[in-house]
Amino acid sequence: MGKIETNVKDALDHIRAATQELHGAISDAAAKRGGATKADLEALAQKAKAVTESAKGSISTQRDAAKKHLADGVTHLEATQKHVAESLKSSGQSFQTSVQKALAEARASAQKISEAVAAKRSAASK
Amino acid sequence: MRNYVAVVFDDTGKAYEGLHALWQLDDAAEVTVHGTAVVHRDAMGNFQVDTKETHPALATAVGVGVGALLGLLAGPAGAAAGAAGGAAIGAAAGGVVGATADLVRADNRDQAATETRFVLGAGQSAVIADVSEDWTSPIDTRMRSLGGTVYRRAKDDVTDDVWFDDDYFYPSYLYPYEYIPSSHSL
Repeated sequence: MGKIETNVKDALDHIRAATQELHGAISDAAAKRGGATKADLEALAQKAKAVTESAKGSISTQRDAAKKHLADGVTHLEATQKHVAESLKSSGQSFQTSVQKALAEARASAQKISEAVAAKRSAASK
Repeated sequence: MRNYVAVVFDDTGKAYEGLHALWQLDDAAEVTVHGTAVVHRDAMGNFQVDTKETHPALATAVGVGVGALLGLLAGPAGAAAGAAGGAAIGAAAGGVVGATADLVRADNRDQAATETRFVLGAGQSAVIADVSEDWTSPIDTRMRSLGGTVYRRAKDDVTDDVWFDDDYFYPSYLYPYEYIPSSHSL
């Protein structure tokens, strides 16, 4: 008989992990010597889209403060998607600007979603 | 409660153990970690923030941002250190942060010192973190077991400070996940 997992991760934890991973991937691309490649950016665009859709789909399952923070996080994820898409169509300085904007929006989405997790944990402990 | 926490360790390896332990506490839902960074002070007193950024201007911004946060947690000794940290990474920007802190906001630095009594000595490293915690014992107990000394300030107190300024204060430069450079892998 296997050990029962007591620390079950819920959807919000998974969305947070995916958002953290997205930020990590964008910051790796931004820090890449010689610049991110088209393949890097296409992968980021796919990842951003998947995380956004997943987060959007979970808003209705959350309550109170967690719901609000998650909705804010989705707004930043949508902006991340937009800037990653712009970076695919640009070059030079405008490319750098789009990647940095995507990074800042991904950071903001990770922040909002971790605040959603904190709100949910705090409510559960009361 | 939302707090900024600084955990001081005597060496870099222990600081990264502390960082890992902090994210383990998050994984166990004991606290929620919103962001972390590791700051080192070398034997000469210079500061260094571990970052992925390779672009000099962005690396400077990260250094100044985390340096400013360190200053907010640290009070007079740390505020000077925060400015020096910025200077070590980017002289002009660091100088501006330091001058502003020294000339205009001394009273708030005194307040910060009273509240945190935090000093990062030469050769020491600190984990800086933005956390939500319903009680302080999980972090205090775990970090103490690793030899760390924990200092914290409520985020509200930090943002109420006169010298809190979005132009100089960049909590967004804290990594929102466990980032350990390959040179320091556990």
